Amino acid sequence: MIRAPAFTPYASRGRKPVVAILLTFALCSMASIGLSIWQTARTQHRAEVLRVAERQQTLASEYVQEVMLVRSGQQSDPDVTATILRLSTDALLDGGAVPAVPGNDDEADLAPATDPVVRAQLIQERRLVDDMTSTGAAYLDGRPVSSVPLTAGEHLAVTAPLTRLRVLSMLTADAALNTARTIVAESDSDVTNLIVMQAVLGGVGLLVSLGLALALVAATRRQTAHFRSIVDSSTDLVIVLGAGGCRHVSRSVTAMLGVSEDAVLGDGLLRFLHPDGRALVRSAQTSGRTEEIVFQLVNQHGEWRTLEAHVTDLRQDRAIRGVVLNARDVTERVGLQDELVRQAHYDGLTGLANRGLFRDRLEQALTRSTRAGGSVGVLILDLDGFKQVNDSLGHEAGDQLLRVVADRLTETVRATDTVARFGGDEFAVLIDQTDEALAVSVARRALARLAEPAVVGGRELEVAASIGIALQTGESGGDELVRNADVAMYAAKDAGRGRHEVFRSDMARDPDELLGLDNELRYALARNELSVHYQPTISLSGGEIVGVEALVRWTSPTRGPVGPDVFIPVAETSGLIAALGEYVLREACGETARWLRNGIVGRDFVTWVNVSTKQLTMGGMPGAVDRALQTAGLPARNLGLEVTERAIMLGDAADRALVELQQLHDSGVRIAIDDFGTGFSSLARLRDFPVDMLKVDRSFVQGVERDAKDVAITTHAITLAHALGLIAVAEGIETEGQLAHMRAVGCDVGQGYLFSRPVPAKEITTFLAAAHDAAQAA
Amino acid sequence: MKVVTALHRPAALLAGMLACAGLLAFAEWSGSGGSSQPSVRIVHITERDFHIRSPRRIAPGRVRLVVTNDGPDLHELIVVRDPAGTRLPLRTDGLTVNEDALAPEEVGSLEPGVPGSVRGLTLRLRPGRYEIFCNMAGHYMSGMHAVLLVGKP
Repeated sequence: MIRAPAFTPYASRGRKPVVAILLTFALCSMASIGLSIWQTARTQHRAEVLRVAERQQTLASEYVQEVMLVRSGQQSDPDVTATILRLSTDALLDGGAVPAVPGNDDEADLAPATDPVVRAQLIQERRLVDDMTSTGAAYLDGRPVSSVPLTAGEHLAVTAPLTRLRVLSMLTADAALNTARTIVAESDSDVTNLIVMQAVLGGVGLLVSLGLALALVAATRRQTAHFRSIVDSSTDLVIVLGAGGCRHVSRSVTAMLGVSEDAVLGDGLLRFLHPDGRALVRSAQTSGRTEEIVFQLVNQHGEWRTLEAHVTDLRQDRAIRGVVLNARDVTERVGLQDELVRQAHYDGLTGLANRGLFRDRLEQALTRSTRAGGSVGVLILDLDGFKQVNDSLGHEAGDQLLRVVADRLTETVRATDTVARFGGDEFAVLIDQTDEALAVSVARRALARLAEPAVVGGRELEVAASIGIALQTGESGGDELVRNADVAMYAAKDAGRGRHEVFRSDMARDPDELLGLDNELRYALARNELSVHYQPTISLSGGEIVGVEALVRWTSPTRGPVGPDVFIPVAETSGLIAALGEYVLREACGETARWLRNGIVGRDFVTWVNVSTKQLTMGGMPGAVDRALQTAGLPARNLGLEVTERAIMLGDAADRALVELQQLHDSGVRIAIDDFGTGFSSLARLRDFPVDMLKVDRSFVQGVERDAKDVAITTHAITLAHALGLIAVAEGIETEGQLAHMRAVGCDVGQGYLFSRPVPAKEITTFLAAAHDAAQAA
Repeated sequence: MKVVTALHRPAALLAGMLACAGLLAFAEWSGSGGSSQPSVRIVHITERDFHIRSPRRIAPGRVRLVVTNDGPDLHELIVVRDPAGTRLPLRTDGLTVNEDALAPEEVGSLEPGVPGSVRGLTLRLRPGRYEIFCNMAGHYMSGMHAVLLVGKP
């Protein structure tokens, strides 16, 4: 089984050579010291051996002298010397105690001889000692010495006992001397060996140490290169700041800046630093505080790169001696963040603030004004007829128009004010530190500026808009302010195009009420919560009922009665208007057909049904009307449609409406212009339109008793109607005075509370029947 | 410091050893050069306690005596020509040969050699009677001597 090599961190790899060097030194030194100690002990022992070996030489001579002394009758004891000689030889050879020569030296303890040459010489010496002492003993005993067997290989020719003894003594002494010489030579060779050993140890130690030192240097170099290449190949930017400025930069820094290292080192770095970041970098350099700093450097292309750096204080580190900035290039990230912030806060099409940013700024402005006084104004602007631009010229033209509007609005306001686009064709302006007069003047300027012709999609357009203005009152919050401006804008729109309105509390419509109203309306249609009321129209000359206006009513189980001014716009925006219109047509036609069948109304009786602008522009009216007439079995001449001035004045869509109205008119359906005088009717348009009747708006009718202008308008409207061959109708007659005036100026038909309010079908049927009966009776 | 001195020592030692090896090689070369000459004959002589073994008779001319010491003691070798009488003259102790008296007759000698050593001694020997012996203390009297006759067999 193969075992994976143990993991060694790169940083700890240099330790091995150091440990090996120390170990080698220690081992060599220990071996050297051990050798010296061992050799010293050996030398001491050898000196003792040498002393004993040399003593043998003397003892051999003494033995002969002692024998001679005994022979000459003197007192001596050669046996003692013989014993010492023999025991000494034994000790030299095999180790053991060496007896002392009385009065001369001390006892010694020897180790056995190991050298084979020395041992051979000692064995020979022992034989010679034996031969000499045996010969000496025989001589003293008076035995013939030639009979003594010699064991050391002597071939003695001499027979004289003393001479023989002396020769043996010489041989013994010579052997002892030679043994001593051999020991000395051996000792010399030991010393030489020791020197050689020491030299070898020293040499090995030196070589190993040198090798390991080289290995260590190589390892260190490798490690340095390793870390340098890691640092250099890293995308991280490393900058070391020291006392003299920039001390080191990684290759990634010079690569990013596109300059050489020399250009950056020292004070060079400062030239690349953005002035905003200089203080930050200098503070990091002097304090060394661990922190994250962000600064910018300019590269050789003049491009600013944003760096995010971690500061580490390594001034105490001898290898660095500086403050290290470990930085990352976050330019792209910062750019992306900015872009995300921009996308989150700005409208992509126009570059204006979006609803979120507007709300933010509004809250800030409100907080400021609460603290420091002053008032905040909000303008909500909605383009008139933008949908027609989109429909007829395409969305690109629509977008272009929105950009034009955005530019013009921005030009109109102060730099401190905020212009935002809420979506679609709805814009908002936040005016800080304002009052009503200033806000109104801004609205006027904006409308005037927008009214200037704009070339969009190759066509010259005249842009109109409706502006609602709301001003901060008391503790009103931002949402409320925007809502109020919105309500005012609708009011302005209702009042006609190109207008502005300042919010008044009586305009307020509960937005919660509007919310979900379309759903409720949908259910209302399905659950039959709607009803149609009728208001009679009276011939002012004869006083008879010539027709009724059908008016839709809604009583919601949760909200109670809901006015058509509230739910008709909801129906228009939610697309329910078609169904609603058909419902009214169906009801009105059915009711009228019944009256006709029952004979309570005349042949020329007309029931008028209101048609909203939206219904007309959506198209499909003739079909719907035809279906209703067919279902009810009602002749077309008994049905009239009331359309507003605006519906017939609006561009291309109105052309379609014109075609459809013409179709309807041709089929016999009557057409009336409702609220005549409130819009911007083009007389030419009026001439081309298939109209039977003009309804003068109630606002003029109701003013005839006190306002000369209203008198003039109504008079001229009626004159105009007659001039065009149309029937003139006065709406909203409430007093006898108004009635008298209308009669006086020749108005044909009247309608209003003076005669009857709008009443349910049942009541109007009774009313009509009563009127019929009265007429019959008359 | 120790390492440095240790470095010098083996260097010197090595130099010495190389020099010795060189000398030995030279000596060996010159020796073999001598033996290649037909006129130099090898004569083997063995010494041991206490006896010399050698050929009894050899031809005259250049000879190389190759002396082996079988030990166990140290032995020398002295060659004398035609000594007067059968016994060599002794010193006053009556136990060792008087080399001074034999100086005119001495033709060559080898200093004491350690046991196991083999040494060579090249001589030009004229015909005659030669005696070879070891004169270390007591060795001659113990029988370390032999007669070498040089002449036509």
